[in-house]
Amino acid sequence: MNTIEVKNLRRIYRATTGVIRRKVKEVEAVKDVSFDIKEGELFGLLGPNGAGKTTTVKVLATLLIPDAGEVRVKGLDIVKDANEVRKQIGFIFGGERGLYWRLSAIDNLRYFASLYHVDPEVSKKRIPELLELVGLKGRGDERVQGYSRGMKQRLHVARTLLHDPDILFLDEPTIGLDPVGAREFREVIRNLQSEKKTILLTTHYMFEADSLCERVAVIDKGEIVALDTPSALKKHVRDLSVVEIETFGIDPKVIDDIRKLPFVDALSTREQDHRQLLLVQTERGAEAVPDLIASLEGMRIGRVTVREPTLEDAYVRLVGGKA
Amino acid sequence: MNIITKNLRLFWQGTVLSYVALFAWFRPVTYAASKILMPLAQIIFFTFLGSYASGGTDVDFYVIGNAIQITAVSGIFGVTMSIGGDRWAGTLPYLFGTPANRMMLFFGRAFMHIIDGAFGVVIALGWGALLFGVDFSHTDFSALGLTIIVTTTSTCGLGLLMGCLSLITANVMFVNNTVYFLLLIFSGANIAIDTLPNWMQAFSKALPLTRGIASARTLIAGGSFADVAPLLVSEIGIGIAYGILGYFLFTWFELHAKRKGTLETV
Repeated sequence: MNTIEVKNLRRIYRATTGVIRRKVKEVEAVKDVSFDIKEGELFGLLGPNGAGKTTTVKVLATLLIPDAGEVRVKGLDIVKDANEVRKQIGFIFGGERGLYWRLSAIDNLRYFASLYHVDPEVSKKRIPELLELVGLKGRGDERVQGYSRGMKQRLHVARTLLHDPDILFLDEPTIGLDPVGAREFREVIRNLQSEKKTILLTTHYMFEADSLCERVAVIDKGEIVALDTPSALKKHVRDLSVVEIETFGIDPKVIDDIRKLPFVDALSTREQDHRQLLLVQTERGAEAVPDLIASLEGMRIGRVTVREPTLEDAYVRLVGGKA
Repeated sequence: MNIITKNLRLFWQGTVLSYVALFAWFRPVTYAASKILMPLAQIIFFTFLGSYASGGTDVDFYVIGNAIQITAVSGIFGVTMSIGGDRWAGTLPYLFGTPANRMMLFFGRAFMHIIDGAFGVVIALGWGALLFGVDFSHTDFSALGLTIIVTTTSTCGLGLLMGCLSLITANVMFVNNTVYFLLLIFSGANIAIDTLPNWMQAFSKALPLTRGIASARTLIAGGSFADVAPLLVSEIGIGIAYGILGYFLFTWFELHAKRKGTLETV
């Protein structure tokens, strides 16, 4: 049974500029998005910045009214039955904001419990349980302003579980967390998954989607370009290998030239301090290395490796090698 | 838990917690300064200025007018912070993503400021008695207490409307300061309303505080509750009107922000 149904969702942002001659600029953030999420499924939504992930989550969370399309949560229309939908869902947007910093964690949770009409007796019992679940046991009386970013994120999880929703929308919940905090957070998500919650997770981190999600939709420029299990998505790049070349101060024009080489299927770069890691997808595998090195003539090159493609490589290919 | 109990709980929790969470002056030193020093400074300034201008004949007029007008600090600035603070805290999406009753959510934000504002007026009247010898020996204190509560409530009504403006514009402090000074001029705190041009008198009558200040002056001069009852009914009516207008603006803002995608714009 589908818990979430999104059909032909379209959402446009309109911004006006100018004082006297006002101009309206339209940005189509979500063009024609359709997907379903089954009950108890952990579904990933991947895409580059500005792809339409957060807009989609906001529509599902009843915080944005769609321009077109139909969006249902447990069969309820997210516009007409918004208040009923809100009782069924919980949501988190990445970042530290969205909490009352001058209040303690417990007071934040008490306030949101009253906003969700949670019975006081229930919330009295649930708040300590949730603080324990998210690893904030013993810290609940402290003001949120003294919390680390990771602690705030985990408090967000506790907040969103107060009314025990069946459905969770987690929009880039691990963004900005240190590796340990992100790993702890993923453990919290796994726990929620084991409780049969239906979860929509948006993330930039492919390994996160790969390790957590049952199915993944890749969204680019407001459109879904692929939707499948992580292993099926990896098959998109099954015939390819990835050549990783470490460079130092590479000229962007050289990167463009490499991208145009006939045997290069997709190319992405990753900045690492003063180094740039080129990730070249090619059918030729190790045989492509000499030609690639030749293209970098005169440049300082570090480590060169050839490896099997990952979900991230599939993603890079799907969004046009621009990640 | 029935719906009335749920909503009363929401009102109360929202009242207390939002006051602590969002009222930026809620630090002991700043709070003491806003409650003790600011009323003192305002009363001294306007009483000396008014006495000088009028030949020192009616000190009570300025002391009582400014003591009651002090409630605008809580009613306008405090309530605005309690409504608009959610925008700065980034909590608006999380509030509007809940099924909470918007009316309870909205009006709950003002309740503590009514008590806070009334407390400020009492302190200001105390300064008036201590420094300028205002005579309370003929005052019906229960009626004066009611006047203070009614006037503070009506001012918070205007504050709720201003608070909604703070959700729409980033320049609300400019608007709040302007309103505060307009109240100093047109509420009758410092200038007798019958000396103003007709259109200004009409504007005065559309403001909260105007009738509350007149009522307090009447009561301290020895008037009875019956003398001021019509003034108090009108005063609370004006406050409720502003509050309802604010509530409709609040619900409009929510709908507009969801249409335009501006819920998180600061």
